[in-house]
Amino acid sequence: MKNSNIQKIRVALAGNANVGKSVIFNLLTGLHQHIGNWPGKTIERAVGSVYHKGYEIEIIDLPGIYSLSTYSLEEIISREFILTEKPDVIINVVDGSILERNLFFTLQLMELNTPLILLVNQMDIARSKGILLDFKKLETAVGFPVIPTVATRGIGFTKVLDDIVAIYTGKKKSIPKTTFYGPELEAQISKIQKVLEIKKILPTYPQRWLALKILEEDEEILKQIRRKQKVPFQHFRNDHKQPEEYTDILVFSRALILSLEEFHGHSCGSLITSERYDVVSSILSEVQQIEAKIVPPLRERIDSIILHPILGYFILFVSVTLLLFGVFYIGDTVSSSLLILFENLKPFHVDVFGEGLLSELIWASLEGLMGGISIALPYILPFYLILGILEDSGYMTRIAFLMDRLMHTIGLHGKAFIPCMLGIGCNVPACLGCRILERQRDRTLAIFIVTLIPCTAQTLIIFALVGKFLGFHWVLLLYLLNLLVIIILGKLALKTLPGEPMGLIMEMVSFRKPNTKVVLTQTWFRLKEFIYIALPLIIVGNIILKALEIYEFLDIMNAVLSPVTVTLLELPEEIGIALIFGIFRKELAVILLGTLFGTMDFATVMSPVQMIVFSVVTMFYIPCIATIAALRRELRWKKTLVIVGFEILFAIAIGVVVSRVIQFSSDVGLIF
Amino acid sequence: MITALIDLNVGNKGKILEIRGGRMVNQRLNDLGLTIGSIVTVKRRAPFAGPIHLLVRGSNLALGRGIAAKIIVQRLT
Ligand SMILES: Nc1nc2c(ncn2[C@@H]2O[C@H](COP(=O)(O)OP(=O)(O)OP(=O)(O)O)[C@@H](O)[C@H]2O)c(=O)[nH]1
Ligand SMILES: [Mg+2]
Repeated sequence: MKNSNIQKIRVALAGNANVGKSVIFNLLTGLHQHIGNWPGKTIERAVGSVYHKGYEIEIIDLPGIYSLSTYSLEEIISREFILTEKPDVIINVVDGSILERNLFFTLQLMELNTPLILLVNQMDIARSKGILLDFKKLETAVGFPVIPTVATRGIGFTKVLDDIVAIYTGKKKSIPKTTFYGPELEAQISKIQKVLEIKKILPTYPQRWLALKILEEDEEILKQIRRKQKVPFQHFRNDHKQPEEYTDILVFSRALILSLEEFHGHSCGSLITSERYDVVSSILSEVQQIEAKIVPPLRERIDSIILHPILGYFILFVSVTLLLFGVFYIGDTVSSSLLILFENLKPFHVDVFGEGLLSELIWASLEGLMGGISIALPYILPFYLILGILEDSGYMTRIAFLMDRLMHTIGLHGKAFIPCMLGIGCNVPACLGCRILERQRDRTLAIFIVTLIPCTAQTLIIFALVGKFLGFHWVLLLYLLNLLVIIILGKLALKTLPGEPMGLIMEMVSFRKPNTKVVLTQTWFRLKEFIYIALPLIIVGNIILKALEIYEFLDIMNAVLSPVTVTLLELPEEIGIALIFGIFRKELAVILLGTLFGTMDFATVMSPVQMIVFSVVTMFYIPCIATIAALRRELRWKKTLVIVGFEILFAIAIGVVVSRVIQFSSDVGLIF
Repeated sequence: MITALIDLNVGNKGKILEIRGGRMVNQRLNDLGLTIGSIVTVKRRAPFAGPIHLLVRGSNLALGRGIAAKIIVQRLT
């Protein structure tokens, strides 16, 4: 169908964080951006296409952004895209239940002179909050199409595509109204605009917007102007020159800013913000009505329980424990029955393929496949499902609120807890997720913490070994040890990167019933990653292992590693190679053990102490390859290598300590 | 009465008079609707000197203690 003379319309999705841009993107393009109910998930732009009425509509999903003033890296990405790549149409997605703050951003988009469509999304939530909107009036007030939508149910989107095409072909008008910001401010805006018109410094930008940015003293814009003007820096003197006599527009504007600031007593930036909010308020007074609710809505009541000073922490602790236990229980039951089924297959295999090299290799690949399915999936699936529900409910921001104070002890603020929660799923998205933190220092610290968090693969090792053979209480104990290590190492890391975090500023998103479709697709895409990447790796790993075993390479490699594995950690010699493979995917470390020992009944080949030591070592020993790649991307090589090197040494050290302590306790009869 | 936002009690309303602190923080708070003259309601505070949860212009925000201490308000109720 793809045809070179099909016309392409470029459309950007822009709006505040968490309004539903990615749900809409996924809906229109059929792709799968990360969705969840907390602000700051999309961190880089994504592109997809949809064909409609003979046009190719290219849709660009952007990170959430609260204003066009540059603040965080993601916002710079969004702003740069909107300003320099000039999409044909901007779809401004807003949250209908928080219109006031959302329209504040809409006003800024309106200053850009680009055709706009306003999608008032989350209308179901807005209605449940008793918010009534007059869309016709809103449309007249802003000057471009306004469409109410419920993205999660796909309501309103044929009209969106129709309107994009209609605006592009000129059949429909989208001419954003010019807003009026009060007489004093307007006077200065037009003065600057006049000089800008004469000097033509940055002619590609919308000039009124540029004038406002100069008044706001937007650093990025000032920098660009300085580069363009190339005039030596001049000090401002109040010498009553005409505007065009100034060689430096910044000197000229500085005078206007000072006079405005003197008049109002606040910085020019906050003056402009206030004026913008005033315009929004006056629009809303015309179009919005809120029915007062007598009974506090359910979500308010849930909040007062979940965020309760005592009950809140209790619920948090119980839900984390239940999460672990639930996953352990489901995983263990399913995994055990699958393993029995699998053991019964071996005789059939010999019947079909006979004995010999080829047969052994085929068996190895089957073993990998079955190992992946029976050991990994039963734990991973329920885990991702529960994580998806947590993410889509809005609980993440609540946890961040509750944990803010505690996170300060390791030099971070509450928002850092969100990537930590993601890290329990997989460390890779968690490292990237650290971008919700504002400063590089905070990100570096948080990323280091994230690499210490046991991901599903590491959890799997703990469950399949310690959980299965020693009991759930040992699993809890290992998690507590992990927490302790995080706190201690976090404090140490803080010593190398001292300072206070910036302080928590976070939107507390509305609580809502998780959307089944969103949770299921989210789980499926996370699982797909396991099926398409990990499973083949496990199978290949198994085959390589068999080959190495047949050609007697295994013994050599194990012997090389034995000073660490056997002498220091007192583990069976075979474990060395499992640890090496674990670097590719942590799951491999335990699944390959089955192949190495020739049995999945690990109790017959490892002592309880060895199981614990092995689990502890795999919990910390090195981030997996994919995480190392993510680290390099976020931190560059130097810091990555420091973290990797440190964690290898640390894992060996803690392994040695744990093995001696537990061995001693067991010798004197305290345990086992 | 004029106090810092952090000193308002749960349920209190306040009108923002001034935001002290760096340019970046100021900007962000402004963008989120905490402008001079706007009315905020304190919904709850986390224990152990944790952050506060407030309502401003129909949206819910969490602010760390350090930041809430730099926002000067006039107490309304
Ligand atoms: N009830 C309801 N929920 C919605 C609607 N649209 C989106 N959501 C939910 O809102 C949350 C945020 O949606 P996303 O698409 O991830 O938001 P985003 O704008 O891409 O957010 P960032 O990438 O963080 O900026 C998710 O939990 C969605 O399930 C809607 O119309 N109604
Ligand atoms: Mg998104």
